Amino acid sequence: MMSSAFTFHVRRALCTATLGLAVLACNNKRVSRIEPTSVTDLSGRWNDADSRLVANELITQSLAGPWIAQFTSARGSAPTVIVGDFRNKTMEHIAVGTFVRDLERAFVNSQSVRLVASAAERQDVRAERADQQTNAAAETRSKIAREQGAQYMLQGDVQAIVDAEGSEKVVYYQVDATMIDLESNAKVWVGQHKIKKYIDRRRIGW
Amino acid sequence: MKRIIAFGLIALAACGPRKVHEAPVMVNGDRVKGVDDAVAVAGTRSEAGQIAASQRRDSIAAAAHGSCRGAVCASLARGEIALGMNETQVMAATRTTHDAWSVRNSGNSTVMVAQRPGLTPRDALGEVAMVQLMDGRVGSYSYREAQGMRVVTSPAEASAEGRARAVSETLMREGDQLIAAGDRAGALDRYDRASVLRQNDAMLQYRIATLLDQQLRPIEAVVRYQRFLHQLEIEKIQATGDANAKLANAIAHARERIIVLERNR
Repeated sequence: MMSSAFTFHVRRALCTATLGLAVLACNNKRVSRIEPTSVTDLSGRWNDADSRLVANELITQSLAGPWIAQFTSARGSAPTVIVGDFRNKTMEHIAVGTFVRDLERAFVNSQSVRLVASAAERQDVRAERADQQTNAAAETRSKIAREQGAQYMLQGDVQAIVDAEGSEKVVYYQVDATMIDLESNAKVWVGQHKIKKYIDRRRIGW
Repeated sequence: MKRIIAFGLIALAACGPRKVHEAPVMVNGDRVKGVDDAVAVAGTRSEAGQIAASQRRDSIAAAAHGSCRGAVCASLARGEIALGMNETQVMAATRTTHDAWSVRNSGNSTVMVAQRPGLTPRDALGEVAMVQLMDGRVGSYSYREAQGMRVVTSPAEASAEGRARAVSETLMREGDQLIAAGDRAGALDRYDRASVLRQNDAMLQYRIATLLDQQLRPIEAVVRYQRFLHQLEIEKIQATGDANAKLANAIAHARERIIVLERNR
């Protein structure tokens, strides 16, 4: 009698465990490659689509501005630019490097602007050059004190204004970029792009 | 029953009307074009502009080199403006085209200034503020330098020594103004910089010594006073030597004349 009750309990426990596993198995993970240019807004926070929008706009504005042609005609060569600080002044984590790199790529590939390594990047280059002076063959050494000085510095920032009420939220991003003459501090180009997002978090709706 | 009413109320509250009624400009599934298109368009435009500008510069350089002689040719090769150049040679020396200059003609005089104030053309020596041509040839030109404008009107002023002299004079003038304004430290800085360019100027050493003395820096002041006295000694010897040389020349000349006059008598 005792053994038949025990067997019943064991069977019930096994059935429950199997059912539990079956339910858990339904919560499966799906990974797929999607088009990088597609807009995929999940949380409403800053994402890759925003970065691309900003990059496109700043590239168009900066390369279409008259400052490059004016410099080239006055000095006989393309202006040299160094990328300075791009600050994220929002409360959100924003990877400003993504659109700044896009901007750099546009400058270099369009051949309208010469780009020199930024303060952080050139430390490694200088260390390598210094090492070459000791270890590299004389005819293959990179010469010292031949760095190209920049005429302009690109600086910028990202700012955000958030307005929320209940389940609704509006986030406004403003990205400003400025090209500053390193000798005179004159701002020769100012670029700007604005993004406004409306986020509705209602659970039920029609 | 109560539960059903409560759930119904919650559902109604959750489905309340939206406060913002704006049509979205971009939704999930839309495409944001990559930056490649923008870069390609800019690259094509830039390349066309660069080729056109380069061709203009090359034709200017060809015309400039074809018409140059002697010192002007040497200056063109160095990329420096020189007295006697014509308008085309000025552009070739600065690697610019007509777009960079605003040219005003008045009679036989022509003045070339930068088309845009913030973007002055440059030659190998510095920023060229203005070029003045008389009868089509450069008669004077000026550079915009940290201490102000430096005007070149003679070959001596165009040389490295002339440039150093002009810069040191500007520094000394600036130092004098700073003393008048009560900024002794600033004045000392300008005199110090001028003394690098005018190493044999006794009065400059005296001015530095006096300033150091007033700033309670006796050891440095003594050195400067000594340099001043030493320089004066050298100048005295030099002056005596020059006077003696002139005297010797005069004596020789007088003797020659006496011989000539006595022969003709």
